[in-house]
Amino acid sequence: MNAPSLGADGGRVEESRPASRVPLGELVFALLMLALGVFALTGVFTIHVPVGVKVGPTVFPIFVSVLLLGSAVAVLVAVLRGDRAEVEDGEDIDPDARTDWSTLAKIVGALVAHLLLIDVLGWAPAAAVLFGAVAWALGAARWWLAFVIGLGVGLVVQVVFGGLMGLSLPWGPALGWLGRMF
Amino acid sequence: MDSWTLLLEGFATAMQPQYLLFAFFGVLVGTAVGVLPGIGPAMTVALLLPLTYTLDPTAALITFAGIYYGGMYGGSTTSILLNTPGESASIVTAIEGNKMAKLGRGAAALATAAIGSFVAGTIATIGLTLLAPVLAQFAVNLGPADYVALIVIAFVTVGALIGSSIPRGMTSLGVGLFLGLVGTDTLTAQQRYTLGLLPLSDGIDIVLVAVGLFAVGETLYIAARLRHGGVDVIPVSGGWRNWMTRDDWKRSWKPWLRGTAIGFPIGTIPAGGADVATFLSYAAERKLSRRKDQFGRGAIEGVAGPEAANNAAAAGVLVPLLTLGLPTTATAAIILVAFQAYGIQPGPQLFQNQPALVWALVASLYIGNVILIVLNLPLVGMWVKLLQIPRPYLYAGILLFAAFGAYALNFAIVDVLILTIIGVLGYFMRRYGYPVAPLVVGMILGPMGEEYLRKALQLSQGDLTTLVTQPFAATAYGVLALLVVGGLWLRRRQQRYEQALTESIAVPIKTDSEI
Repeated sequence: MNAPSLGADGGRVEESRPASRVPLGELVFALLMLALGVFALTGVFTIHVPVGVKVGPTVFPIFVSVLLLGSAVAVLVAVLRGDRAEVEDGEDIDPDARTDWSTLAKIVGALVAHLLLIDVLGWAPAAAVLFGAVAWALGAARWWLAFVIGLGVGLVVQVVFGGLMGLSLPWGPALGWLGRMF
Repeated sequence: MDSWTLLLEGFATAMQPQYLLFAFFGVLVGTAVGVLPGIGPAMTVALLLPLTYTLDPTAALITFAGIYYGGMYGGSTTSILLNTPGESASIVTAIEGNKMAKLGRGAAALATAAIGSFVAGTIATIGLTLLAPVLAQFAVNLGPADYVALIVIAFVTVGALIGSSIPRGMTSLGVGLFLGLVGTDTLTAQQRYTLGLLPLSDGIDIVLVAVGLFAVGETLYIAARLRHGGVDVIPVSGGWRNWMTRDDWKRSWKPWLRGTAIGFPIGTIPAGGADVATFLSYAAERKLSRRKDQFGRGAIEGVAGPEAANNAAAAGVLVPLLTLGLPTTATAAIILVAFQAYGIQPGPQLFQNQPALVWALVASLYIGNVILIVLNLPLVGMWVKLLQIPRPYLYAGILLFAAFGAYALNFAIVDVLILTIIGVLGYFMRRYGYPVAPLVVGMILGPMGEEYLRKALQLSQGDLTTLVTQPFAATAYGVLALLVVGGLWLRRRQQRYEQALTESIAVPIKTDSEI
């Protein structure tokens, strides 16, 4: 159904994803899980056990560490023996597309910018930045419209939840006058 | 007082105009968000959690009941009307509805799904009403070791049966348990894994983890491979009054009832959730049908049965959640979070200590079901509009609400940072085939499990055999073994079945596109 339109925008269809290559990402992630297990286990020794406590705060962490280590090793072994992740597709996912890392970086960047700007600009403008930047990263037709919509949605949330229902969302310098009305 | 009187009192509460309004609002919002593509029921519930921050407990739970049923139902509209075949094959039932829509029978598919959901939801809620008090009565006598057994059952079944690979599921569970450990130990006030950081000493809020994994992680996953270009929604024609013909009704009512009979029991046991129920119902309908050739080409039985099973399972899941405090699906886990946010701990004591609240909730489930069917048939046009939202705006909006929910938790910026980090973790888990539901369940049940484990071991003076020598606990472990073996067998069958089905209908899909 969508295949023709896809072929038109850059011939990504022809590049089939190599299946037999060493799954570097999968291995790294499994190793990270293993590292988390090691961290959890070594962390057990830093937990202070009060004197006289029989079943103390370390019992459960030991169990969790063992579970993490065991299952991470099992995943590693399985991956090395050729087992590959089975991922589910969703309605909006293009099964032929490759991972678009720059879009991912932009979205994470938008989230970070949002959290840094909440106290500086106020919640609604920071929300507009998040909405606009994400929509732009995902290819919104008119990027300025995305910021306008974001500001609109942000203001509605701010007025309904901050103004009417009393959640303390910061209004920021530009909208302080609006905040004083509630 | 018997539960009948209590239920009537519950209705009296839930029928109050303001609560009725909350139920209506919950169903409307739940369905609307559930209809949005890419948003499953767990994400719907997680995203809408902040809406209830400012409400009183009864209003919040009634709203949530509506959101839960609405979100469960909303997804079927998406799969019936959104023209993305092939990918939905993981949910075997989406195929029939989608095929029907393409044959111009989308209205009938939507109607049989809606009415089937109503029938199944109502019967299953009756089942819940009858079963829950009995189970709660029984569960009151369970000791800490018995609870450890129940929680282990939840861990193992969720870790092993959700997702496609057992080691990955167990790893995900382990990460969840670990995240649940971070913070201050409640019994001895010792810090664990806080790295000396102040924001971590109170622990990581489960809401951040749930929203981070389901909303942010999922959005990142979709964003990385977004389908660009126009949205292809199959048009629905005809008024909703004459949607189902007499023949449709004749072919639908038995599957509805069979779906309910399959879905409710499966929902109550931790066997992998609604997915298994819908698959079993589909397989049963196909087997029983005299028109097997229609399956895979738009058989109404293949929509009616699984859709009913799905909703019946959704009600069934509430039985262990309310009576034992055990969530068996990711969605149930997030509902448990909502309960805990109000200081309400589901479990046998809940029926004794707060009967008014529980029965108002149960009553609102009945009401929610009625609202659902009243809303859904006439509002289909609106849902279709929602499906057409341009994707960049849709996902920007999801992230906006996720960030709002995180920030509104404590009005702390560090929460948004944690949300982002969890979201990135969720992306990689999704990418490498780790199911996220075990993580959420592990993080919620971990602290509970630890408490019971330590209580049990303290009672036995550190003797580990106490965990398996109680009659109930011993039986529970036996049942666990059966559940895991049975569940794995079922899943293997399901995978083969879906593969065979995808292959058998792959040909018609191709010819479709060539026309």
